[in-house]
Amino acid sequence: MADALEDRLKVLIVESLALEDVDPQSIETDAPLFGEGLGLDSIDALELALAIHSEFGVRTKENDEKNREYYHSVKSLAEFIRSEQAKASSPAP
Amino acid sequence: MAITLGLHALLAPIGSLMFAVLYVVWRGDPVRRARRMQAITAWSYRVMHRWLTVFGVTSLDLQKSLAELPDGPCVVVANHPTLMDVTALLGLLGGASTVAKPDLFERRSLRPLLHGAGVIRGTGSDPLSAQRVVDDATAALAAGFRLVIFPEGTRSPRDALLPFGRAAFEIACRARVPVVSVTITCAPLWLSKDRPFLDPPHPTPVLNLRTLAVDDPARVDYDSRALRQVVEARFRNWMRLGRPHSPTPIHEDESPWPMPSKTA
Repeated sequence: MADALEDRLKVLIVESLALEDVDPQSIETDAPLFGEGLGLDSIDALELALAIHSEFGVRTKENDEKNREYYHSVKSLAEFIRSEQAKASSPAP
Repeated sequence: MAITLGLHALLAPIGSLMFAVLYVVWRGDPVRRARRMQAITAWSYRVMHRWLTVFGVTSLDLQKSLAELPDGPCVVVANHPTLMDVTALLGLLGGASTVAKPDLFERRSLRPLLHGAGVIRGTGSDPLSAQRVVDDATAALAAGFRLVIFPEGTRSPRDALLPFGRAAFEIACRARVPVVSVTITCAPLWLSKDRPFLDPPHPTPVLNLRTLAVDDPARVDYDSRALRQVVEARFRNWMRLGRPHSPTPIHEDESPWPMPSKTA
């Protein structure tokens, strides 16, 4: 059973990128978002990053080599968001 | 072919050295330097295509190509069947900014030319690096340059088109400049993905570049998705119709654009 965060991300992808012909439930959690998977492009990535910041309060840094891993799939994006939210909620040393 | 390879081997290092010197000499105003270096490369490309035609390596008609180009800045999008179309297009335009793969910027011999001529470093592995590309490209357009982008992102497959990316159209919408669609054919095909340099075809490949359409993004309310859809559909229609190489008027009932009212 898919996690609620993954489901919210699928809806966010469809709504923020105006993918009118895509059912959020049809997006595979492990499938690549770019290229041969969902077929998103670099401008979609920018818009998705803005939507994630607005929805989850998580900002994606530009020129971070790990962005490719974070934005690989719904699953990797959800792991990235959980990790950033955990960092934000943990008390400062 | 031997003459071509010999001239390349002789002239390439001289060209690299010349651009390295000009890069330093013209360091005062980067926009002026880019304009001058683009003009020099465009002239060099025209000369190159002239002698390629003279030696029967390839054929390009420099006089009949690319009519009705806007005078000011614009985004030129084209299919990309062969490596030769880059030099042909830049030569015919008389200079333009382009987006190049980041790997090219790692080559020391090319760096002065790429930086000096205002070539924009393309997106790397970071999907969010598109923001930098869009910013750099809109700045180049604001400075009055034309911008050439191959929206497929790589060379086209034989007799086909890859899906168009949205970057070129997003840039045009943000900069509020027209998109010029240029169709390119090379027959027989050479320097494509499946026809390498050392396997030249016979007869001599003929390059044809033609203006297919000029689209104002205002007509789709600066929506880059809609703009891409319209331009890509027109390219696919051109390819489906057997690639007639003359500007094809879009009839009102076929137009993907909302046509202006006749009474307006």
